[in-house]
Amino acid sequence: MTAVDNPVPQQEEAQTYRPSTLQRFLPFIIAAVVPFILGSTTENVNFWWKALITVVVLVVVARLAWKWTPRGELTHREDMRLWRTPSDRSWAAVTTFGLLVLPFILVSDFNPPMDFPWAIWSEVVNQVLIFAMGAAAFNLLVGYPGQISLAHVAFLALGTIVGAIVGVQWSGGNFWLALPAAAVAGAVVGAISGLPALRLKHLYLLLATFGFHFVMMLVWREYLQEYFGFVGIRFKGEHRPRITSWLHWLPGIDPGESGEFVIDTRFRWYWVIMPLTVASLLFMVNVVRTREGRAFAAVRDRDVSASLLGINVARSKLMAFAVSSAVVSMSGVLASFYSGARGEDSFDVQTVLDYAIIIVVGGFSSIQGAIFGSAFFLFLPEWFEWAREELWFVRDIDFLSKHHGSIDYAFKGFLVVIILMFKPDGLAGLWRDFKGWLGRRLARSNP
Amino acid sequence: MLLAFGNFTADPSINLQLLIGGLALGAIYAVVALGFVLVYKSTDVLNLAHGEFLMLGAYFALTFLISENLNFFLGVFVLLLVMLVFGLLVHYGIMRRMVGQGFFAIVLITLGIATIIRALLLIFYGPTERARLDLLPQGSFEVGGATVRHVDLIIFAVVAGCVLLFFLFFKYTRLGLHMRAVADDIEAAAAMGIDPDKVYAMTWAAAMVMAGVGGLLFGHVTGAIDRSIEAIGLRAFPAAVVGGLTSLGGSIVGGLVVGVIEQFANGHLGTKWREPVAFSVMFVVLLVRPTGLWGRKDLERV
Repeated sequence: MTAVDNPVPQQEEAQTYRPSTLQRFLPFIIAAVVPFILGSTTENVNFWWKALITVVVLVVVARLAWKWTPRGELTHREDMRLWRTPSDRSWAAVTTFGLLVLPFILVSDFNPPMDFPWAIWSEVVNQVLIFAMGAAAFNLLVGYPGQISLAHVAFLALGTIVGAIVGVQWSGGNFWLALPAAAVAGAVVGAISGLPALRLKHLYLLLATFGFHFVMMLVWREYLQEYFGFVGIRFKGEHRPRITSWLHWLPGIDPGESGEFVIDTRFRWYWVIMPLTVASLLFMVNVVRTREGRAFAAVRDRDVSASLLGINVARSKLMAFAVSSAVVSMSGVLASFYSGARGEDSFDVQTVLDYAIIIVVGGFSSIQGAIFGSAFFLFLPEWFEWAREELWFVRDIDFLSKHHGSIDYAFKGFLVVIILMFKPDGLAGLWRDFKGWLGRRLARSNP
Repeated sequence: MLLAFGNFTADPSINLQLLIGGLALGAIYAVVALGFVLVYKSTDVLNLAHGEFLMLGAYFALTFLISENLNFFLGVFVLLLVMLVFGLLVHYGIMRRMVGQGFFAIVLITLGIATIIRALLLIFYGPTERARLDLLPQGSFEVGGATVRHVDLIIFAVVAGCVLLFFLFFKYTRLGLHMRAVADDIEAAAAMGIDPDKVYAMTWAAAMVMAGVGGLLFGHVTGAIDRSIEAIGLRAFPAAVVGGLTSLGGSIVGGLVVGVIEQFANGHLGTKWREPVAFSVMFVVLLVRPTGLWGRKDLERV
């Protein structure tokens, strides 16, 4: 008996595959370019053709991104990429394409069967993006360093105040200056409001931040009465954001007869809101997946052990508060300028509850969950409205149409309770389950 | 603000009136805080829905005592019985499954319950506000230029009675002993043959009954009964925290202290300062003593 008769099974060599640089970027280039071709050349094309082209391109882009992903032994650099696996890259390509093509589809003339609401969608999508930004920042703070704060609405108010000072009251200022100003103010005030977190934990921290909420509401009301009176702040008219004249040469920007390109339609707002939301979500994803985020997780699990590992616990906590508050303030500016007016009761305890509902339904402590949650939260009333008016088996129930607002709310409350009891990771958890199932299916069909 | 403080010394009868008003408000806070403390002490749940429970109590009081026009004592008995059943429902239907979940998940589930109660009350009672209850004696008398309402004295007596009752209950009854044991260490208590499930159910029932009492009392002093009275739940938080969330007696002291401070802020600085001042007091107390004045300190081991 020699070793030759009984060879040690060779470890299977991992197949290394490197796509060329062009191949790596091509799916994303297609995903970025096709929507604009579709939007600019096919204005008269039927909705169904647009939808068909969209689906075909979605599949192609996903397939190509899947195929041209580096595999095998990865370099450290490749291993640290944001989208590393074939599935990550496919979803990224699909999302890119979807986000860019969505407004063109939404503005197309389309009458869904049974009067299903369509015209309102572009409004709701914009709102979803704004809410997702704030809710994701909430999740960042609650989910990763485990610092519980109920002061988020206070930061929406702070953002609105800074937006009003820079964008409305200051004659030299505008919306584009108000955004970074609000982010800076949010980060500074956020770090200050995070100071109690160095001493308090859990429920006491929650109550302390709630105290901050009430102080901020006092500031908000005083500010409003001092400068704007009871009519509230109006972000309309000359305060609407506009593209400066030296950028009018850009494609797609047609100032028209007035010589000004004002962001006033939902379609134009989408192109302001969407990049900001995507950028801030990507920023937060990057924060939680790098050194900073691992420090957050260590602080959440046990802060004493984290400090023994050499993590500066105070710095981590304050950093989390600052990042989260900065993003929330920015979403506050966006929401105020988008809705056009803010009054005394724009920020109340109910808004805190709304954000809580969003993050529970979407999925606790996941940035993705914020998107699902706000989409669900904002689309649900529209769909219920439609169901009450059109569906034959609920149309005639007076009870439902009489109490529609409260029934929506009761439903949301029941949903929160049921989700927390039976599926604590919410819609994001369902989505992960679905992706896992899809992955197993694909692995079975082409091994 | 300086002017306001100048006012502080000018007229002693105003200050006396504010003090009395503050004590009356503080008594209400103490009732609400007692509800928080009961639940937090034995189940470790921060119940953000307590204001809604109280509102439920006030609306049920409207139904049983005004609409159905029951005899006062019979009506109160029915009210408390219904609240007790609701408390058992909350425990067996919802909170029982949440034992052992993360702290924030439980806080959020109480927010979910709060949302449901608010929506259902809106559906079944409508948005119109109702006149406040007038079943307790409505008169008042004067002390040194300040008015004292009879209702306030009754509230005071009821709160003191409740605290005494709970104190005796925790100290001398078997169930009270079980509750303290479960609050101290649930696993050890279970190993000794105590059924934590039953203890938790009893706690929720007791808290709901306290909310019923609170709703009945608060319904007599609020301006009108509508859906905004749940705010009393939030406003009583500073009271509960200042006293310490695990101390029954602390909730009375905290309630009175916060009530008086709030009333003085209200009288000398304006209504809008009420909540910020109350929460600032809470904040300062938390920074100095992170578990409140009489709260239990938990040892933390690494």
